Parts: sequence; C-alpha cells; structure tokens
Amino acid sequence: MKRSWYASPYALWMVLFAVVPLVFVCWYAFTTPQGAFTLENFREFAKPRYAAIIIRSLKHALYCTFLCLLIGYPTAYFLAGRGFSRTQSLVVLILLPMWMNLLLRTYAMMTLLDDNGVLNAALSAIGLPKIKVIGTEGAVVMGLVYNYLPFMVLPIYTVLKKMDYSVIEAAEDLGCNPLRVVTRVVIPMSLPGIVSGITMVFMPAVTSFAISTLLSNGKLRLAGDLIDYIFNQSSNPNRWNIGSSFSLMMLVLILISIGFLRKVDPDNEGGGMW
Amino acid sequence: MIDETRLIEIKGVSKSFGETQVLHDVNLYIRKREFVTLLGPSGCGKTTLLRILGGFEMPSTGEVLFEGKDMTGIPPYKRRINTVFQKYALFNHLNVYDNIAFGLNLKKPEQLGCQSRAEMKKEIMRRVTRMLKLVKMEGYEKRSINALSGGQQQRIAIARALVNEPEVLLLDEPLGALDLKLRKQMQLELKAMQQQLGITFIYVTHDQEEALTMSDTIVVINNGRIQQIGDPKGIYDEPKNAFVADFIGESNIIDGTMLEDDLVRFQDTEFQCVDEGFEKNEPVDVVIRPEDIMIVGEDVGMLTGVVESVIFKGVHYEMMIRSSDYQWKVQSTAMQPVGTRVGMTIVPYNIHIMHKMKEA
Repeated sequence: MKRSWYASPYALWMVLFAVVPLVFVCWYAFTTPQGAFTLENFREFAKPRYAAIIIRSLKHALYCTFLCLLIGYPTAYFLAGRGFSRTQSLVVLILLPMWMNLLLRTYAMMTLLDDNGVLNAALSAIGLPKIKVIGTEGAVVMGLVYNYLPFMVLPIYTVLKKMDYSVIEAAEDLGCNPLRVVTRVVIPMSLPGIVSGITMVFMPAVTSFAISTLLSNGKLRLAGDLIDYIFNQSSNPNRWNIGSSFSLMMLVLILISIGFLRKVDPDNEGGGMW
Repeated sequence: MIDETRLIEIKGVSKSFGETQVLHDVNLYIRKREFVTLLGPSGCGKTTLLRILGGFEMPSTGEVLFEGKDMTGIPPYKRRINTVFQKYALFNHLNVYDNIAFGLNLKKPEQLGCQSRAEMKKEIMRRVTRMLKLVKMEGYEKRSINALSGGQQQRIAIARALVNEPEVLLLDEPLGALDLKLRKQMQLELKAMQQQLGITFIYVTHDQEEALTMSDTIVVINNGRIQQIGDPKGIYDEPKNAFVADFIGESNIIDGTMLEDDLVRFQDTEFQCVDEGFEKNEPVDVVIRPEDIMIVGEDVGMLTGVVESVIFKGVHYEMMIRSSDYQWKVQSTAMQPVGTRVGMTIVPYNIHIMHKMKEA
C-alpha cells in the first residue's frame, strides 16, 4: 500500500467538511433562492451598514495585528535572547491561554473589564474613578490582541531562536552599535517570522466573531458576526445566498493577503503554518 | 616585512567562565603585519583569547593594549579589528555585494574620503569590486548567500571583513569546514593576501600543519596557558616541552635520565645528545621525531625491536616497533615486514631533551 493512502481518513474528512461545503457556498453565492444564476448577492456589500461592518473588521484586525507586533516582537526577542534561563517556562506561560477555549478567555476578560469588574473594583479601592471599557472599540481590540498575541510571538520566537548568534557578533564586528544590530540584522533576518505572525494574527482577527459582540455588549459587530447574523437571524429570504456571498468575499480577501505576504517570504521560512 | 612595533600587547590576561578558568595569565605581544597563529587542541582557550581581542569577551583580569592604549571595555564596533567567524556568519537576507558592503554602508561619507552619499556609493562599489577580485569571486555580486558553496561563503566572509581595511584581522578556524584540497589552497591564498595587504592576521586553528604553513609566529596553547611562542621552524625543531613536541608533528616521547651534559639514558641505553644545563640524574622527557629514527641491521642498532605494524602513508611507511616496554613510531620510505627484528639508530642532534612537564 502506498504511503499516500495513510492520509485517506484526512482526505475523506476534508472532502466531507471542507470541500463539499465550499462548493455549496459557491453555489449559493451565485444563485437566487430559486436557483437562477445571479450576481445580486454581492451587491449587498454596497449597503452602507454592511460596508461599515466590513471596514470596521479590517480596521480592528489591522489595529490588532499592529499591537500584537508591537508587543509580540520585543517579547519574542527577549525570550530568544541568550542568558535568560527561564525561557521554557515563559513560553509555556504565553501558550497557556491558548489551551483554553476562546469563549472562556473572552468571558474571563469581560469579568475583568466589566463596569463592576475586577479592574474597576481595583480602581475604586485606590480612590480613582471607574472607567468604561466594555462596549468600546478599545475593548474589542484588546480582546482580539489578547486572543491572538501568542500567534505573533511564537513564529517570531522560532525564527529568532534559530538565528545563529554569531551573525549578531558579525554585525557588531562590522561596526553596528546595539541599535543598528537590531535594525540592520535582527529585524531583517526575522522577517519570515514577522510575516508568519502577521498572517496568523490578521486572518483570524479579520474573520473573528463572538469576541467583539461580547466585549462591546453587542454594539460593535465584525464581519464574522455579520455572516453569523445573516445566516441565522435575518429575515431576508435570500439570507443563505447573501451569507454565502459574504463568506466567499472574506475567503478571497484572505487569499489575497496570503498571496501578498507570500511575496515577502517566498521560502516560507517563518514556520509555514498557512 | 614585519614591523617591530608592538601593535597589540596582552598582559597577564586570565578569563574565567563561572568556576572554570579558561585562560591563565596569558602574556603575548603581536607586531604589525605579523601572521600569528594561536594553536592548540579544542577547549584550550585559543578561541576565547581571540574573542577577547575582538571585544566579544572581557578578560577577568589583565589588560589588552592596542597601540599602547587599553582596549578593555571598548565594544567590538569601535575597534579597528574585524573577524572572520568560524561558521562565516554571513547575512543571508543580503546578497553577496551587500554582505561585503555591510561594514562600509555603516560609515559616514567623510570616513571614506567622500563628499556626498552618491560619491560614497561609488566608492563602496569600487572597494567591493576590488575585494571580490582579491577573493576571486568576481561576477557573484547579485548571488544569494544560500546559493554559495562552503568555500565560496568562506571567501565572502573574508572579503566582508577585509573590505573595512582593519588593522588586525581575526580568523577563527576559518577553513575548518572545507575539504582538504580546498583548505590547502585557501591557506596559501590567505597567506598571499596577508602579505599583499600588509594587515596583521591572528589566526586560530587546531591544525598544526596549517599553523606551520602560514604563520610568522605560532603560539601553542594548552589548558589555557601558553606553552611556547616561536616561529614554525623553531617550534617544530625545538619544542619546549613534551606537549608541544607531541602536538606539533608526531613524536616519540619517552622517560629518560640526564646523566651529565650531552649524555642521556633511556631504555637502559646511553645516548649522546646535544642538550646541556640539566641537573645530574634529572628525570627528563626525551622526544624523538618518527622521521629521525633510522632503521638499520639488528646487530648495528643502538636499540633493537620487533616491527608490530606497518601502515602505508603515501610518501612513507609508518611502523610501530616494540623495543622492551616502548612502542616506537618510525617513519621510513623502506618497508620492514611485520615480525622483523630491526635495529634503530638516532643521531645526537635529533634527540631532544625536555624538562618533565609540571602541572599542565
């Protein structure tokens, strides 16, 4: 029996739960409920309230990715550095939240940031005024960052860890002061990890749902929530068709961003998760 | 060729990593345009010494003077020293040209004698092109580092360091990863480059042949201590102790007793030698090179023995000859079959007497 046969359970699974549904999505996206071919479904995007949600999704995902990079890179750099002996336990600490369900994590965050939550209780205790977090855009972005930060740290950490330390010494030797070592060598050489991290944060962030609904008290919906809403709650008779067209659009959006990032890291050195 | 001025002086340098002391009171000076090799077995401290010179490690005690000025605490990027690293440490996000130009690109235009950025760009191109020519890699400017062979990467690493016109080039076993033929070729090329450019080279290796081929001065190091400093011929012909004798070339080292000046006894036989100044009946190490033992008829030899093994080594045969409690290593172009009883003679000039090594 050929080796490739060992993958048949997976292939079957994929066909049943990924390929076939995808074909249905495509079918619904381009047809009316009666089954006639149409492009009308895609025009729904033009509606201001839908377009606003898509733009908000992109905006929040970009904020989230940027913040993850800003927080994640120094963290990864620190973890991958020499002379730090507790790397393993810290990596575990960063991974720890990932072992928990996303919804549980988000509920935990709600408890912390709620108007009467832990944060505000602490603020009151030291005599400061309460602040409103839940329900703001900030809360949504924080929630996204909290959930996706490990996906930024890990690929960058992996690339930095693999980097030969003598390369850094070579840069110093050739005249780089500590700052230039980072800008001229460390960051350029860890670009594959950065690209991988951006991909792994941006894509789930742009399609995420539930996080924003929960942390904004249902006020701020993102693309994922919108698709959920169209399929499950809307009264539009075309809801399956419109929902499918939205899903397809998101898929194309993601494929485009992968294609773009692939250009930056053609060898897929950054761990290649996507 | 070599300038007598002392470019670098290492004074009483010791280095410890935690509990382990890797360098013990190293004293050494290096002259301008000298090719110095730090030679010793792995773990002897030679690389640590090189890293101290490069500024990557600080000595625990002692000081390093560069043109008379203390270098302690000066970071690598402020030293007029460049390094060729053991694993090349090339920047694989840059192509060959940008790797070589890396150091020059960090400089200001006036440091390269230029008025403007544009002029500097031209100057850099001129220098990089000249370096590529020197290391025989013309036409490789746009290549990616990953597309080069080990030997080519080596050349780029050398060019990347030399293009900055350092006062001193440090080389940390740069030829270790190359095959024998390429290594020999690169040895000669490196030596030629050093002479052409007139730069001081400090070269670390564990390969004694490499050291003998290239160096003006060899510094033999063992267990963090300098064993001997000398020119290749001096070190080979007059090793100071049994360690040096054994490490530089092959040697028979046997216990002996110095009976009086110019007379030594080993293997219950008295030999004329040319060493003086030992105490009467002082126990000594007697060192004899395998090629200095002549095989003669059993009846005329100073020592007799039985051939126990023969290995063909290309130019000569290497025979192990048992004589009472010692197995002699003898090299000769004439082969004696295993089991033959032979005589051996050694001329006084080839018997080297050494004080017993104290604690190494």
